[in-house]
Amino acid sequence: MKKIKPFLLAALALALTAGASAKTIELLNVSYDPTRELYADFNKAFAAYWKAKTGDDVTIKQSHGGSGKQARAVIDGLQADVVTLALAADVDALHNVARLIPADWQKRLPNNAAPYTSTIVFLVRKGNPKGIKDWDDLVKPGVGVVVSNPKTSGGARWSYLAAWGYAQRKTGSVDKAREFVTALYHNVPVLDSGARGATTTFVQREIGDALLTWENEAYLALKEFGADKFEIVVPSVSILAEPTVSVVDKVAKKRGTEEVAKAYLDYLYSDEGQEIAARNFYRPRNPQVAAKYAANFAKLDLFTIDEVFGGWTKAQKTHFADGGVFDEIYLKK
Amino acid sequence: MRPFRTALRAAVIPAALIASASFMRADPSDQQEIQSLRDQLQALSQQVKVLARQIEIKEEAAAAAPPTTPTITVNDKGLNVTSADGKSTFHLGGLVQFDSREYFGDSGTLATPGVTNNTFILRRARINADGTFNSIYSFQLVTEFGGGSLASTSGGNASNASAVSILDANLNIAPTKELQFKFGKFKSPVGLEFLQADSALLFVERSLVNNLVPQRDLGAQAWGVIDNGVLTYSVGLYGGVADLANTANVDFDNDKDGIVRVFAQPFVNDKDSALQGLGFGVSADVGRQKGVTPASTTTTYGVAQDAGLTAGYKTDGQQTFFKYGTAVQDGAVYRISPQAYYYNGPFSLLSEYVVSTVNVRNQALLANPPTKPSVELKNTAWEVQGGYVLTGENSTFGGVTPAEPFNWQKGTWGAWQVVARYAEQSIDKSAFPTFAATTTNAQAASAFGLGLNWYLSGSVRVATDYFQTSFTLPPGVASSATEILNHDEKALITRFQVSF
Repeated sequence: MKKIKPFLLAALALALTAGASAKTIELLNVSYDPTRELYADFNKAFAAYWKAKTGDDVTIKQSHGGSGKQARAVIDGLQADVVTLALAADVDALHNVARLIPADWQKRLPNNAAPYTSTIVFLVRKGNPKGIKDWDDLVKPGVGVVVSNPKTSGGARWSYLAAWGYAQRKTGSVDKAREFVTALYHNVPVLDSGARGATTTFVQREIGDALLTWENEAYLALKEFGADKFEIVVPSVSILAEPTVSVVDKVAKKRGTEEVAKAYLDYLYSDEGQEIAARNFYRPRNPQVAAKYAANFAKLDLFTIDEVFGGWTKAQKTHFADGGVFDEIYLKK
Repeated sequence: MRPFRTALRAAVIPAALIASASFMRADPSDQQEIQSLRDQLQALSQQVKVLARQIEIKEEAAAAAPPTTPTITVNDKGLNVTSADGKSTFHLGGLVQFDSREYFGDSGTLATPGVTNNTFILRRARINADGTFNSIYSFQLVTEFGGGSLASTSGGNASNASAVSILDANLNIAPTKELQFKFGKFKSPVGLEFLQADSALLFVERSLVNNLVPQRDLGAQAWGVIDNGVLTYSVGLYGGVADLANTANVDFDNDKDGIVRVFAQPFVNDKDSALQGLGFGVSADVGRQKGVTPASTTTTYGVAQDAGLTAGYKTDGQQTFFKYGTAVQDGAVYRISPQAYYYNGPFSLLSEYVVSTVNVRNQALLANPPTKPSVELKNTAWEVQGGYVLTGENSTFGGVTPAEPFNWQKGTWGAWQVVARYAEQSIDKSAFPTFAATTTNAQAASAFGLGLNWYLSGSVRVATDYFQTSFTLPPGVASSATEILNHDEKALITRFQVSF
């Protein structure tokens, strides 16, 4: 007992000291619209991981909205420690407009800072009454297509580029691709600001015949609203969507959260992070995890933004900047 | 109930069967028409849903959009406009002080030097405009329309009667609270009582100490507030003005003053501390000035220069008791002022000491080279003043705000405060007789004041102060040719003030 007592006292002292020095850290993750469920799961896992590793308590606050809108909010002063946005161009804006991150931000994490991928599919009503099987069916008269606004939503930009890419690869003509996308947007009655809003429009407000949306959003809609009400149509070809992530260096430095913010994003690439992504219907980068969940994801021909459009900078400037192709198409409608 | 349901079922089911049978037997063209109507109905239903959703999205966007409408308020703090994002503000305010001055125990006529008749005076009539843009840039513009004075020359708190002047005109750039930059015309940060707003003073006139501090000057200053006021500092370069003088809005010479001030309030963040309202600090002014007599604005160099020496030191009753004679300022200027205040609930206390050192030469104009020696003169002053708000409201450096404004119908009486002060000023004996006549000037003055302030509201105040000033004549002088110096000045000043 005499020998044990000092040991117990020392252990108690150590525990008290550790408890006394344990920090409480708060991070803000500014994300795009449909990632609520993903980050609810991921944040829980990361907090447990960080507590076990360092003894510190970390709380992650989430902000969700259209990817473009979210990027502008951060530029205007929203104190995000990390951003997990829908596309690289929105993260680029944090450097180009406000110098919140370095120019080479995309090189800091594997896979060009895209820890998971997705694509664009169609969600249709059960039974597919309008017989929508591929992109061409979306431009038929009388078909209502629901999609969010490319000016604010990252998912909408991927959808637009997926449609354009399909038409351009099929016809070999940029003009014909433009005609196709023009016809598509002629069938769009409502533009929501973000992907989640578009889901609300289609699923809950019962507007339209097909929802163009993220693959993960489509699966979540089936899960939440019932596979007896909707079904997923996988087109013949779609775009490889690569949502990107970054620490917001200027904010993290000011708030003293650089270390934990970096660890947070690194954890997205961990086995657990990749499993969580896959369970939430995001295509994991990790080959082992991807193989494990392969049956959950449709196989389809995916093209990249670099292959068809020469990269995000070019695509953003040509199609989505003020006065770009989308403005010309939609304003004429 | 049960027989009714049975009867209803008995009636409805056959009717439905008959209707569907009728449809089945209907003409194909009727079926087409019905289907067409169904399609139209569905299309209309979709249209309605789309319109409803578009309205919903617009409303969500409007709710999420940052506000664009500025906020405008008008109250006893003036007109305030704040932009929707809160980053820009504009404030328009004013100050009007109407005084009644009565002097007791004086005699004689206007023709008798130094004897003053009782008077009304528009002491101050100002429009204040200030504002902030983009959270960082702020400006101040104060125009004086009143400022009537018994003095016939400029200087001190008063300008010439009926002269419109720009009192303050400056720009402040504040990248952070801890480091800010101010440029333009503003109060020289030497005297503590002088830095207090004119509308917030305990007494209607500042004490004898104010005679030795520079008033408003042109300058560039770096300053900051650290930890909510635990430490406030400023360091700046100024044009340099004489004691109790304001700049003439141009400083066309190579001689400048550097002024540094630090002021600490160590307990300001400790709400439970009895010393939360304690503040103390020191200011120091070092410069070099060459001047000319107040009557002239040029030197033998043919270049316009500042007026050099003070136009005169004033009593609490605003009468001049000392003025330099044929002399110009030429040389180093030093001022140092330890200062402190303490506020605790209704109680207030303020004290400061100033030493003002000037180099003076007994010449009408600054000849090149000078033909007479310059002499360093050291003038000193100190004061202690205190107040107590009888109705219990807090007294602060920014003044007193009554808990309830005066309203005799409701039986509320505003706030009442009693105040007391004692101050002394001493002029260097070496000033006499070379630089100042012994027969027309005092060598020292001591004054006490008692007063009552009535704060009718946050913007209206009535104050009555009694001041009594005694004079010490220069050595060897039994009686002064300036009549007011031969007896105590006894002045009763009542002020009606509105400030917003």
